[in-house]
Amino acid sequence: MSRKPYQPSMPANWWLKHPAYRFYMLREATVLPLLFFIGSLLYGLYCLSQGEASWLGWLNWMQQPWVMALNALALLASLFHAFTFFRLFPQVMPLRLGGRTLPASWMVAGQWLGVLLVFLALWWLLGGYHGSN
Amino acid sequence: MKQPDSIPSDKQHLSMTVQRYRPEQDDAPVWQSYQVPYDDSTSVLDALHWIKEQQDSSLAYRWSCRMAICGSCGVMVDGTPKLGCKTFLRDYPKGLKVAALANFPIEKDLIVDMNQFLHHLTALKPYLIGQPSSASEPNRQSPEQVKRYQQFANCINCGLCYSACPQFGLNPEFLGPAAIALAHRYNLDSRDQGKAERQPALNSKNGVWSCTFVGFCSTVCPKGVDPAAAINQGKIVSTMDGVIQWFSPKQLDTTPQEPTS
Amino acid sequence: MRQLKTDILIVGGGGAGLRSAIAAAEADPTLKVTLLSKVYPMRSHTVAAEGGAAAVTLQHDSLTAHFEDTVAGSDWLAEQGVVDFFVKQAYQELVQLEHWGCPWSRQASGQVQVRRFGGMKTERTWFAADKTGFHILHTLFQTSLKYPSIQRLDEYFLLDLLVHEQSIVGALAIDIASGELLRIQAGSVILATGGAGRVFQFNTNGGIVTGDGMALAYRHGVALRDMEFVQYHPTGLPGSGILITEACRGEGGILLNKDGYRYLQDYGLGPETPLGQPQNKTMELGPRDKLSQAFWHEQQQGRTIQHPQGDVVHLDLRHLGERYLLERLPFICELAKAYVNVDPVRAPIPIRPAVHYTMGGILTDAHCATSIQGLYAVGECASVGLHGANRLGSNSLSELLVFGKVAGEQAATHCNQVRISDSVLQELANKAAEPIQRLRQGDGTEQWADLRQQLAHTMEQGCGIYRDEQGLSASLQVIADLKSRYQQLKVGDTSLAFNTELLHALELGFSLDVAEAMCQAALLRKESRGAHQRRDADYTKRNDQHYLQHSLACYQAGQAPRIDWQAVDTSIMPPAARLYGGAAKPEAASNTEKTK
Repeated sequence: MSRKPYQPSMPANWWLKHPAYRFYMLREATVLPLLFFIGSLLYGLYCLSQGEASWLGWLNWMQQPWVMALNALALLASLFHAFTFFRLFPQVMPLRLGGRTLPASWMVAGQWLGVLLVFLALWWLLGGYHGSN
Repeated sequence: MKQPDSIPSDKQHLSMTVQRYRPEQDDAPVWQSYQVPYDDSTSVLDALHWIKEQQDSSLAYRWSCRMAICGSCGVMVDGTPKLGCKTFLRDYPKGLKVAALANFPIEKDLIVDMNQFLHHLTALKPYLIGQPSSASEPNRQSPEQVKRYQQFANCINCGLCYSACPQFGLNPEFLGPAAIALAHRYNLDSRDQGKAERQPALNSKNGVWSCTFVGFCSTVCPKGVDPAAAINQGKIVSTMDGVIQWFSPKQLDTTPQEPTS
Repeated sequence: MRQLKTDILIVGGGGAGLRSAIAAAEADPTLKVTLLSKVYPMRSHTVAAEGGAAAVTLQHDSLTAHFEDTVAGSDWLAEQGVVDFFVKQAYQELVQLEHWGCPWSRQASGQVQVRRFGGMKTERTWFAADKTGFHILHTLFQTSLKYPSIQRLDEYFLLDLLVHEQSIVGALAIDIASGELLRIQAGSVILATGGAGRVFQFNTNGGIVTGDGMALAYRHGVALRDMEFVQYHPTGLPGSGILITEACRGEGGILLNKDGYRYLQDYGLGPETPLGQPQNKTMELGPRDKLSQAFWHEQQQGRTIQHPQGDVVHLDLRHLGERYLLERLPFICELAKAYVNVDPVRAPIPIRPAVHYTMGGILTDAHCATSIQGLYAVGECASVGLHGANRLGSNSLSELLVFGKVAGEQAATHCNQVRISDSVLQELANKAAEPIQRLRQGDGTEQWADLRQQLAHTMEQGCGIYRDEQGLSASLQVIADLKSRYQQLKVGDTSLAFNTELLHALELGFSLDVAEAMCQAALLRKESRGAHQRRDADYTKRNDQHYLQHSLACYQAGQAPRIDWQAVDTSIMPPAARLYGGAAKPEAASNTEKTK
């Protein structure tokens, strides 16, 4: 038989084989530090319910350098994820205004503007709390 | 050695390594290197022609139009799916590796089996449904209505997006980027009434939900079709479809089914 | 040898083949329709057509006007009854395509938009941006998937027709993937195999456009008509020959020589039209033959521009503006950037004429029937009589729809299987398989690539825009020599699966026959008409007295074809001078009969 198609197989490490796949896996991997952050947060809530000593213990634990480093990583990861997500958003939900599709760059800029506004609002809220103290 | 008119011999050369697979003698693909002359206008396809005409007449690859519209000459260039006729050697001064499109069975050298791809394309009924056949005048369709689907109608069926898609590589039953983009093109067409017929296959596990939005399909698309957008817009449609079904009275219930063809 | 029995076999999956497949399937859904193509249908060269498809559409236009433009464009060598039928059917076919989903470009009102095209009195060219052929082909391909009676044989290569007592009984093909032979028994066969532009060095055509169907019908005794008329498209990219659509000029693009001068006004196409105000049938909107000939003269006089890939002139689109260009000509922008590194928004595109279209082809009657019972031909491979000595841009996409439908319906009506015993059929198939067996076992010294290169070279030299006896005779001699060397061909690749070298060798055999017919017909047409221009002193003018006739090239094994002559149908519009630009104005005013 002259026909003998060669069936290629995906190697287990296919995701290391191309920059586009590595970028994709990095995007997906942002969930790992975020998991740690959420775990920490939930543990904090639990400690709060267990009384002051427990709460202070949690605060202490949160101030350890490696925990702070991991949470900083989580912040970076969430910003990176937002960066990728915002870029994909115009593809998923193209907005149309007067028969024209809004340029993707506008939509990305709009989302970052939203992030900035949320940050400012939080900063103002927290700043207000410290100010009255 | 004689040189064809199109590539004089006084040109610079680079090393092009080509994947070979001769089913009647090889058990697996092997690599073969050629020193290829090139200038500013030499495409990968031109270089393949040069090899076939001057070095090894048995080299097999598909091609026709040379102008990035027939979709024949898709190959992997340094691991990225590209059209051979629209990829230029000038951009690879250190040499390049050319292989058959990834994720497809290899028939011979750079020729892959496209039948699965065509099967997927056909499964989603890529034609207008619900048009009266007797009308003697064209439908009206505003430029804005054309614009809604036009981008997704520009697919040349080259298959690069399937080579870029790890989900298709892992699961060849996944209908894949081009087929779903084409279904989406018809779903968005103001003249079409076939969405209900296409939706079951799109909703199925090998439909839009197999996509994890790697997005590489849209990066490699030579025609700016953006199939990832089509699939992920399709997820919204599919979700709405599910929600509507959930609240629909039973007699209107159309349970998602696997495509039958 | 595998076997298959079908009712209608269609060879070629381009626009004409797909349209006839659909027509046949609709005419009689009980018939088995087999669509065989050497490439997947969407790779067919219809895909590369850019500008549009013509049909009388606007209120102020008329069928008479389209008829007159086509006949004058043909230099009176079109079959007028056929043209009359064509202009009447074209509109409905484009509407049909609209109903099948073709994304035609629209006006704000939602009505279909039409654009100007060369040689046409008014705007009547429907378009889908500048990828009209692509959209037509994909629309037809996708629509064909609806019909269960259409079965495709993708990547099967036609080796020969099986003809028994002047009736078609089937065909022999090779399954490219496996190298196996397939004997197909069919009640009727439609050839829709496209043109033969690849016999020339410098062309806009895809690699598959090698004249296969023409050569096979010809070898079986069907005449090839008007083969000397080969269209040079005036605007191909230097080096590659990639097509830059006539729509560029329809939208207002201008042609400039090295002095920045719009030279077309010197060639009977003026007066110069103001920038951004193109006028039908004037200057850049003259017909293709005249524009390509004007380039040749500019080149002779040293007024073309030196480009690394040869002499060029400039196609300037800059005044149209970025937004308009991206809306109307996005593909041209993409091609110019990719292949000559020019952004048409900012710089003129270097262009030169390139072989584009084979006006002649397999002789058919108005119903696409050939002289072999049950064998039909349609599209560029055929000569139904629409184009004569020069095709008008945007008539051929409409042609393959109008006549694709005719061919499909005719084939469905007349597909009575000829009674033939299996042994006779097998004998025919075995005989048809001999050439490929010979090639597979060939032990000569000649290489397919060398021969093809020399063929393309000699065609460009002897059978180009301007021809003379000396050049044509020399080309015929070279072709005769190549044909004898072809017998010594060595196919290095001995494998069965995807043996593309073997296929190229077969295509070369077809191309040699077609090229010979072109040169012989050109040699014996001792006049200048349309795309056939002679430089010999006595032949520089049109000569209606002797050559208002079709040439018929009749195959003769082992020698150049016999050329017969066939009367032209001029029953509706008698021959007259062919005028464009300002010179055409009085003539145009005299016959503006409105029929629509």
